[in-house]
Amino acid sequence: MMFDSVLVANRGEIAVRVIRTLRALGIRAVAVYSDADADARHVREAHAAVRIGPAEAARSYLSIPAIVDAAVSSGAQAVHPGYGFLAENAEFARACEAAGLVFIGPPVAAIEAMGDKIRAKATVSAAGVPVVPGASDVDIPDGGFAEAAARVGYPLLLKPSAGGGGKGMRLVHGPDELAAAIESARREAKGSFGDDTLLMERFVTTPRHIEIQVLADKHGNVVHLGERECSLQRRHQKIIEEAPSVLLDPATREKMGSAAAEAARSVGYVGAGTVEFIMSAKNPDEFFFMEMNTRLQVEHPVTELVTGLDLVEWQVRVAAGERLTVAQSDVVLNGHAVEARVYAEDPARGFIPTGGTVLAVHEPSGEGVRVDSWMTTGAVVGSNYDPMLAKVIAWGPDRAAALHRLDLALADTALLGVGTNTAFLRALLADDDVRAGRLDTELVDRRLAELVSADVPSEFFVAAALDRFLELQPSGPVVDPWDVPDGWRMGGSGGVVFRLKSGTARAVVRVQGTPSAATVFVDDEAPVQVSARRDGDVLEIRHAGGFHRYRQACGPDRTVWLARDGLSFPFGEQEFVLSSRGEAAGAGPVTSPMPGTVLVVKVAAGDVVKAGTPLLVVEAMKMEHTVTAPVDGVVSELPVRAGQQVALDETLAVVTPQEEQQ
Amino acid sequence: MDTPVLGTSAAPDSEAYARNATSHAELVEDLRKRLAAARLGGPEKARTRHVERGKLLPRDRVDTLLDPGSPFLELSPLAANGLYDDEAPSAGIITGVGRVSGRECVVVANDATVKGGTYYPMTVKKHLRAQEVALHNNLPCVYLVDSGGAFLPRQDEVFPDREHFGRIFYNQATMSARGIPQIAAVLGSCTAGGAYVPAMSDEAVIVRNQGTIFLGGPPLVKAATGEVVTAEELGGGDVHARQSGVTDHLADDDAHALRIVRSIVSTLGPRAPRPWDVLPTEEPAVDPAELYGVVPTDPRVPYDVREVIARIVDGSRFGEFKKEYGSTLVTGFARIHGHPVGVIANNGVLFAESAMKGAHFIELCDKRSIPLLFLQNITGFMVGRAYEAGGIAKHGAKMVTAVACARVPKLTVVIGGSFGAGNYSMCGRAYSPRFLWMWPNARISVMGGEQAASVLSTVRRDAIEARGGEWSTEDEEAFKEPIREQYEAQGSPYYSTARLWDDGVIDPADTRTVLGLALSAAANAPLGEVNYGVFRM
Repeated sequence: MMFDSVLVANRGEIAVRVIRTLRALGIRAVAVYSDADADARHVREAHAAVRIGPAEAARSYLSIPAIVDAAVSSGAQAVHPGYGFLAENAEFARACEAAGLVFIGPPVAAIEAMGDKIRAKATVSAAGVPVVPGASDVDIPDGGFAEAAARVGYPLLLKPSAGGGGKGMRLVHGPDELAAAIESARREAKGSFGDDTLLMERFVTTPRHIEIQVLADKHGNVVHLGERECSLQRRHQKIIEEAPSVLLDPATREKMGSAAAEAARSVGYVGAGTVEFIMSAKNPDEFFFMEMNTRLQVEHPVTELVTGLDLVEWQVRVAAGERLTVAQSDVVLNGHAVEARVYAEDPARGFIPTGGTVLAVHEPSGEGVRVDSWMTTGAVVGSNYDPMLAKVIAWGPDRAAALHRLDLALADTALLGVGTNTAFLRALLADDDVRAGRLDTELVDRRLAELVSADVPSEFFVAAALDRFLELQPSGPVVDPWDVPDGWRMGGSGGVVFRLKSGTARAVVRVQGTPSAATVFVDDEAPVQVSARRDGDVLEIRHAGGFHRYRQACGPDRTVWLARDGLSFPFGEQEFVLSSRGEAAGAGPVTSPMPGTVLVVKVAAGDVVKAGTPLLVVEAMKMEHTVTAPVDGVVSELPVRAGQQVALDETLAVVTPQEEQQ
Repeated sequence: MDTPVLGTSAAPDSEAYARNATSHAELVEDLRKRLAAARLGGPEKARTRHVERGKLLPRDRVDTLLDPGSPFLELSPLAANGLYDDEAPSAGIITGVGRVSGRECVVVANDATVKGGTYYPMTVKKHLRAQEVALHNNLPCVYLVDSGGAFLPRQDEVFPDREHFGRIFYNQATMSARGIPQIAAVLGSCTAGGAYVPAMSDEAVIVRNQGTIFLGGPPLVKAATGEVVTAEELGGGDVHARQSGVTDHLADDDAHALRIVRSIVSTLGPRAPRPWDVLPTEEPAVDPAELYGVVPTDPRVPYDVREVIARIVDGSRFGEFKKEYGSTLVTGFARIHGHPVGVIANNGVLFAESAMKGAHFIELCDKRSIPLLFLQNITGFMVGRAYEAGGIAKHGAKMVTAVACARVPKLTVVIGGSFGAGNYSMCGRAYSPRFLWMWPNARISVMGGEQAASVLSTVRRDAIEARGGEWSTEDEEAFKEPIREQYEAQGSPYYSTARLWDDGVIDPADTRTVLGLALSAAANAPLGEVNYGVFRM
């Protein structure tokens, strides 16, 4: 029996995406939300929504009782966990069952079997699925090292059994290096950990991350839906994924697919799952099982686009007990799909999370382009949850076409108000090796310097200045000459000077003329002829013979965000304080506001205080006056004590500003 | 719009047009060069030192004070041109009307790079003129003070008289009394009498470690009482903001102080309603770019002044009044940047009819609350027995009375000659037009140089011949030449503007813009009652 009502125990783009399929299937979708997401897109798009707790994930999206209660109270028959949060939590699956809810995912036993990485390897290995070859000291007879190493295969890595953090590890390229490496590794292991037991493991050079999507029903049918290549990563965070992989020929694909299906069968898997393999770019004939993810993957859309299947639909159908109607022979991979993950992070500053309020959003559309996103105007991107904002996915008849479409789609992606990695994604897609399919998991780190730029193009400063210039133009039929922003002076117009900043970038832009015919000077650069026009939230700029469309949105403090070609920057006014002087406001001694008595001294000499920190309390005229620090700094002098009489303007403390101490 | 549109008989292909255009272009080029030189301010060394102290140059201060892109209708930028060995460009003070926080204000900024911002006689005159503009047009005053006070070597020309230094503070007090806000930012020295500028202001800002206010500086204090004290201790920002209360706001630097001033202006009360209606602006139908070509630069060459009017007024629309009567004076209704104006322009020497027509038209405009625009190009009233007998003096007096008594704003542009009583009847400086500008081709003197030389030589010849002497033609010529030279030099618009006889020499192409800005500024002042003196009939 198909469900009438399903609760989506997640947030963000995956909740939105699951709700989409539920709606298509005619199932009532129930969303859950924390206080941070009360107005989020997944809430708005669901049929019903239930509050499950405060912003903190541990007390909302990770709270099993809260979610089970929400499901029961909302009348849902099943729960879709999405990915992340409780998606691979056996406890949760068990709790759902106990509450009479269908958990849309594999059985508890399968989750547990795959959740323990060591057990998982042993289980799949027993089922004949290749794992990374290795051996432990304990199993190797004395003098049998060379033989064991040959079995593991070169290059191999020696690791102290008790170790961690790379200490005592040795990379061995061939048999001739083995003996010396073992000796020194043992010595270091003994010295560092007091235990010289070693492990050896095949070292996979130029590793590529390739995973197989599987789908299983409750009736013993398992199909594999081809692979996804996820080798473009940074710190184990996938960035760009594609299907299929250029590395695999049909025979290897079939071999890996069968292995993945075997792995699923070995744990009695049901639903959608992903079996991850590692393989060397230099030796595509060998692949090794890494782990199995017992849930829907972030990157599942690329598989959907090349197979034409809706994986969420099949998750729901299988959970409702339906049989797979797709036989392995029906699975045909059509064309190529690539996904890019748009994150709220700043690549130029070490990928630190950005966050903020989304002022405006424009997402690409069109033939072969799909966007899975939770972005809406007003959405708040905070630090409570994962910084992924959207996935932009493009399909093409071949890989080159898909990559090209994805690049154009990213160029047409504009998120104003929150800094994103979109430009970095485009740079990565433009990389020669990426274009040629020469991928490995270390490529991104190797190329980082070329892929990341902190520069704000001069053209953006021009656009930002013209945006303000347009704002200054008088409107209405009666135009007072004082309203005309031309900086008119005796003997010629000075134009308007805009002192702009964007992050750490600064530019002084002078605009002369009118918006339809302006001469623009950026810093000391040669002047350029520009014309500008506003059409709703689109700023059109004709600049040095080129025509560009910028998306524009105004944030707080008169910050204007401009986005074009996947680039997006905020522009504000420079604080026009001369460099020769700092903000010395209020520095100096803190004096008594009244003649009186010191009641309490709240700080000690040497304390670091913030502006506004209470320093002491002076009692005078039956009133208690709290005396606060005028600036951030250190209490350098504190000549009074509690009970002391003080005169008007007597020095009570001196706070030395921080910069002066250096 | 029933008002007829003026045509033009300009012949851009003609030799005269080309000659005029070239001649005007040369004059304007000369004007621009003079303005560019004056804009620099004091000597390079002084400017460098000023900037090194973390101070903004005075023009940068004005730019920072004004709203982004705001026009600045500067007053007499070429003041003191040719005076004081040319050591005081712009007379060491920058004045004008600009928009601050959406409000037109008169800005007065000392230029400390010019002799420490001290007041030469023309500096005083320029400061007082700026205050007069504020008073007449009801505009708030912002003083950016950075001055060592009176220029001591010329104390007799700046200190004691009615229109000298003390008048500045008299004006501050009386303007404040009339509800015209007085705001000062102390961005440097503010010594002796100068100390009263912030003290007499409604609200004052001072920059810490930069601005100082004291009646007597450290050297004077030491001489008087023996007390040794630094300028900062004596009258720095901390002293005045925390102890004396002479200032109300403490700023960290120029930019900060100017930001505070902008914020003060944003708190001022509402503006007075405009005394007249303003319609949507229309560009002239006749190309203003042709102005250079249609106006001869030689004041002796006659042309139809409607060629000028057509290029200044909205849509070139001109509702002419009494076109067929007294035709040497052209009068009519028009609009400039949407503001109504009654145009009075010379098309030749003034006769009795033209003077009476002028008086009539001025009364009409005054009754209708229409500002007056005088386009002055006048050699004078007609002379001769018949005209004197016809009462040209009393008819001229009617026009002068009307000009003097009209309460609507009067704007004067000297577009050619400004000679004799013509200057009076066409609202010369003595008739307190709200603003008066000159074109670079203009000439101004009591009469033409040639006429003056002839008059004086005739008197002299009569005296010599009465004594029975003889005066050769060579001697007469030698007598006349220096007179001609004197009139030539003193008739120059730069001689005039150096002495504040006008508010500036303007590029003819800027006339429409300047008039629009001025009319809009003038609309800030409510109009008084219509009231005239006795017209001699």
